[in-house]
Amino acid sequence: MRDYVLLYINGKRHQISGERVFQPLSDFLRYDQEMVGTKVVCAEGDCGACSALLGRAGDGTLNYQVFNTCIAYVFQLDCRHVVTVEGLKGHNGLHPVQQAMIEHFGSQCGYCTPGFVVAMAALFEKRHDLTEQAVRDGLTGNLCRCTGYQAIINATLSIKPDTVETMAERFPALPMLDAFDQHSQSSVLIEYPESIQGKTIMKRSFIPSSVQEAVLLKKQHPDAVLIAGGTDISVQMNKEKIDPQTVIILPDTPELRVLELDQENLKIGAKVRWSELEIFCKDKLPELHKILKVFASDQIKNCATMAGNIANASPIADSLPFLFVVNAEIELTGIQNKRWVEINRFFHGYKNTDIQAEEVITQIRIPLPKPEQFLKLYKVSKRRDLDISTFTAAILVEMVDDQMIKDIRIAYGGVAPVVLRLAKTEAFLKNKTFDLENMRTAGKLAREEIAPISDVRASRDYRLRLSETTLEKFFHEVSQTE
Amino acid sequence: MGTVGKAIPHDSALGHVTGEALYIDDIPFAKNELIVEFFGSPVAHGKIKSLNLQKARQVEGVAGLYTFQDIPGHNIFGSILADEFFLAEELCEYFGQPIVIIAAENRKAAKQAKKLIQITMDEYPPVLTIEKALEKKQFLGVKREIKRGHLQKALDEADHILEGSFFSNGQEQFYLESQAAIAYPGENNEMTIHSSSQNPSEIQQIVAEGLGIGLHEVVSVCKRMGGAFGGKETQTAIPAFMAALVAFHTKRPARVVYTKDDDMKITGKRHPYQTRYKVAFTRQGKITGLKADFYSNGGAAADLSTAIMERTLLHADNAYFLPNVELSGTVCKTNFPPNTAFRGFGGPQGMAVIENILEEIAIFLKKDAFDLRTLNCYGIEENNITPYGQIVSHSILPTLFENLAESSQYKARYAEVVSFNQRSKTHLRGMAMTPMKFGISFTTKFLNQGNALVNIYKDGTIQVSTGGTEMGQGLNIKIRQIVADEFGIDLENIKLMPTSTEKNNNTSPTAASAGTDLNGMAALDACQKIRKGLVRFASQHFASREEGIFPSPDCIHLENGIVYDERRPEFTLEFKELVMLAYQAQVNLGARGFYKTPGIDFNRETGKGSPFFYFTTGCSVAEVTIDRFTGDLRIERCDLLMDIGESINPGIDIGQLEGGFIQGVGWVTGEELRYQENGELLSFSPTTYKIPNIQDLPRVFNVNTIKNPHHHINVRRSKAVGEPPLMLCLSVWAAVKNALSYVSGNQIPKLNIPASNEEILKRLTQAADSSVPFGSEENEIPLISTLNTKI
Ligand SMILES: Cc1cc2nc3c(=O)[nH]c(=O)nc-3n(C[C@H](O)[C@H](O)[C@H](O)COP(=O)(O)OP(=O)(O)OC[C@H]3O[C@@H](n4cnc5c(N)ncnc54)[C@H](O)[C@@H]3O)c2cc1C
Ligand code: FES
Ligand code: FES
Repeated sequence: MRDYVLLYINGKRHQISGERVFQPLSDFLRYDQEMVGTKVVCAEGDCGACSALLGRAGDGTLNYQVFNTCIAYVFQLDCRHVVTVEGLKGHNGLHPVQQAMIEHFGSQCGYCTPGFVVAMAALFEKRHDLTEQAVRDGLTGNLCRCTGYQAIINATLSIKPDTVETMAERFPALPMLDAFDQHSQSSVLIEYPESIQGKTIMKRSFIPSSVQEAVLLKKQHPDAVLIAGGTDISVQMNKEKIDPQTVIILPDTPELRVLELDQENLKIGAKVRWSELEIFCKDKLPELHKILKVFASDQIKNCATMAGNIANASPIADSLPFLFVVNAEIELTGIQNKRWVEINRFFHGYKNTDIQAEEVITQIRIPLPKPEQFLKLYKVSKRRDLDISTFTAAILVEMVDDQMIKDIRIAYGGVAPVVLRLAKTEAFLKNKTFDLENMRTAGKLAREEIAPISDVRASRDYRLRLSETTLEKFFHEVSQTE
Repeated sequence: MGTVGKAIPHDSALGHVTGEALYIDDIPFAKNELIVEFFGSPVAHGKIKSLNLQKARQVEGVAGLYTFQDIPGHNIFGSILADEFFLAEELCEYFGQPIVIIAAENRKAAKQAKKLIQITMDEYPPVLTIEKALEKKQFLGVKREIKRGHLQKALDEADHILEGSFFSNGQEQFYLESQAAIAYPGENNEMTIHSSSQNPSEIQQIVAEGLGIGLHEVVSVCKRMGGAFGGKETQTAIPAFMAALVAFHTKRPARVVYTKDDDMKITGKRHPYQTRYKVAFTRQGKITGLKADFYSNGGAAADLSTAIMERTLLHADNAYFLPNVELSGTVCKTNFPPNTAFRGFGGPQGMAVIENILEEIAIFLKKDAFDLRTLNCYGIEENNITPYGQIVSHSILPTLFENLAESSQYKARYAEVVSFNQRSKTHLRGMAMTPMKFGISFTTKFLNQGNALVNIYKDGTIQVSTGGTEMGQGLNIKIRQIVADEFGIDLENIKLMPTSTEKNNNTSPTAASAGTDLNGMAALDACQKIRKGLVRFASQHFASREEGIFPSPDCIHLENGIVYDERRPEFTLEFKELVMLAYQAQVNLGARGFYKTPGIDFNRETGKGSPFFYFTTGCSVAEVTIDRFTGDLRIERCDLLMDIGESINPGIDIGQLEGGFIQGVGWVTGEELRYQENGELLSFSPTTYKIPNIQDLPRVFNVNTIKNPHHHINVRRSKAVGEPPLMLCLSVWAAVKNALSYVSGNQIPKLNIPASNEEILKRLTQAADSSVPFGSEENEIPLISTLNTKI
């Protein structure tokens, strides 16, 4: 057992233990290391001011991606190399993105700028040519209140990708890879006694090295919190909604990193990150890809997982309606055995799932829609990008002769404490002609099957209305009327 | 070969991109520095019954807890009316209103103490809406009016009359750097305070008054802000005072940094407005009379609300000639944090109403709103006097319309929109062009002054200090450019110093877009004073009795770092040599400059005068697409054309145009403040309050400036640029309204600000459902009763 986290920051080795691992990296950087270039605005992953590059080992090198340091706790960052804005300057002076931002007036107040330049640098790690849309996609996770973004886009597009010194070139990977290799064999336990009001509790963070170990730990520590990407959990910790005594970090084992297509099924390991899935499903599942385009930001997708999205059990988790209509299956691994649960039976109520105390999700199996099936996914949110959904929907239809509905599955999110399959609406539409009138009538039925509330994102009325209009929209999209 | 007119990067650009530029919370902690937190009211309206700090005090690491009783000076402050408390005494008037200040050795202890403060309240029903405040007759300041002509006559004789009401919601400034301040106690009573404030002089004053010391004992400093947008004009007062009070009592440095959540919950925002209007117009669409009664939601204290309302009335005409008008403005007192300045300062709310009216007249008359806007636009020779009596001089408004219509192919694209809407079953398009005329100057006359300190050092380098603060708008680089050109030297030789009340006294807030105008002119004045002495000295230096060349300051040139007499150009001195010689000859190498804006005045009792030095104007055309099933809004294309005079720095100014416009787009589209019925803000972080994101930038975005040959005044003939572009956003909103008109049959669609997806779908639903009268409008944003956080 190791009792520290091994973390490189801008090429410098840190062994961090005790209380210091129990804080977001952004705090560690700013207040422990006095590296104040990285800013914190929201502390919940929504502004990108705290962005840095996360280097992970893979294919014999370190691969760098942008992430939010405010929702990555130090205990999650074992065997990683983080490059902050202070580390961007290269052997030839300023990083080209820094130079371009100066020349194109990409900063005004400058508070968002460190986060932007880091996210921009990430775009050039592969040295690909960038389209304007790619620039926008890559910078979705960064808010700027001053510039209106145009200057930042101009700056990014002005850079010639082949002139960029990548992070792998800038920071020799081998010594770090060696150190990671030596370290990743051992499990980690970091503890420290925290006293609040005279009471002392032992805070613990475990990094097991296998699923089996994780499951055992879960059994030994029934109230431990399991962390995959941590994008949900860290926000709750930052906002003091939870204060777990014990955390267990789900390791990147080969089993959990599976991402493959076998005949009809897509298999996604519990530690596959959204950004990996986004690339993987681009041609295989374009509808899912479309939703992932408007899912959070690169910063989030480079860390977060589908398993986390499912286990978090939010009724507005973007993956769920889709998983509901394709009848996805969840693999749960316990101490003795594995079992598969069909997603439509997985949720028992608001934030209540079928996962047992000593189980973890290890894989998600998705039957791909068949050629004769037609799938559409919808996400409605206040802002199109980087926003939590107001309403989500998935509709899978199979037709006879292009006009008779043979089978239809409809799942809505954001309309009840759990994602719902609309059984009555589905039953009504079965064996009906696929026309506008029937879809409108179905819309009225759909309205009746749901029980939305008014909240900060939208009113009940809006959600009710969407539950109707979505079926109309679906009709127009399938029948391709403009 | 000057620097003015060139696109030179922002003063701090290098520091921004490397992360080396320091903001308040980046300043290294002093050894014994304390963390300052606060405990705020748990209700929006109520009286404190009991407050128990016993347990909180016992937390290890707590250095002190302070209530209003610990304030040595006044607990009351306010820029216009002194009606606001640093710390609530008994009555709490908004959610989160600070009651107790907590000082601790570390964050953990501060948070812990906060949790252990025990309070009980007598809770009263909060007044949250304008409607409720009107019912209860709760106001801030007095009602203001501007009148001209004979409105009743115009109404009597009108071909048509439309009336209605219009709601625009508030807006969070969302500066990225939240409110922050550090106070350093000095000897005796001295206090130095660094804060993220647009208004260091006011911070100096409120700290002195709160601590009961002289203004001369306080130094207030601001190096830069991570954005402000008006939100740091008055709202920094409370946090800055918190730090000062702790430093005063503990004699230790004290730092307060609001979390984004706290900042959004307890600081003031752009005012929500409710307006009732009645407009008379001819068959052709010419407005003959307008009555508009503006009501703003001022929050719990006056703050700047009355001045903001004044600007609303002064911009209710926007760019249109209104022969007969009766405008009134009333600020309602409610149980929200005191609403405050935000880029535009009431101007946007005023203009929105008239733009709404023009859109409605167009729909009513079934005309292209563009034609009505040009028809009603202020003329050059006639129809050029505002309702308050100021002449719209040196105007190029008609040209702006014309040029932009042409460059954006308005007419052709408008026709395409019409035909698209006939074809598409799934989407609607809309298009609109709106003008903007924004008056430059503080409407409070005495604020229109600035001073500057310019010091030349022996090596020829220069430090400049002004009362202007740098919040990203590029003030510092512009002043450097102005100073560099005055001495004919390179920019590298000039440094803009952190704004400090030690260098510049009694300064005005950096606001009203007038930062460069006032401080640039003051700096120019200082430079000219020094220059005079230097040139006189140089003329003696270059003179030669033998050659018959007598000292003549008029013949001295300062260019490219070189000084010479034009009669003997072969003899030169480097600027720094001149400076050294001048120093040795006992020439004064420092000066203080002063400027006050000439020729402006306004009588707010009568609503008459010429309050503005000049107007900044512009025009914008927007095209949008909306999804008929979700209300989802997409901005396809925006073209902006602005008259900003002769730009001192086009790189900086284009940034102001783009950034200001997009900020406005946020106000009119996606930014939605939602409150709970008890007055607590629900959308208090970027998770739920959605400012425009990079994807929301129009797909085609053309931003241009136009030459105005008539503009000859102001510093280097430039024009203020900070606020005006924000108001061009109304083109986007009007385009949405235009889109709705294609499905509203014979009715005029209503549309609030913001035109969020939800608002749009609601209006589309009204259009589709003939049982709901289309104009039916529940006015203010509904308050949410059930709170349910789902993710
Ligand atoms: C800024 C921001 C934007 C976001 N945008 C979106 C969005 O657009 N759409 C959306 O749907 N979500 C969004 N989210 C939410 C979140 O990112 C997703 O739910 C994500 O998929 C969670 O994955 P994770 O790996 O980070 O989960 P974690 O935070 O690590 O875990 C989430 C929960 O799942 C549990 N868990 C994780 N893995 C397992 C496992 N293998 N077995 C059992 N339990 C497990 C954890 O214990 C925890 O309770 C956003 C979050 C943020 C901060
Ligand atoms: S601080 Fe906003 S994303 Fe991290
Ligand atoms: S430059 Fe100010 S927020 Fe981006």
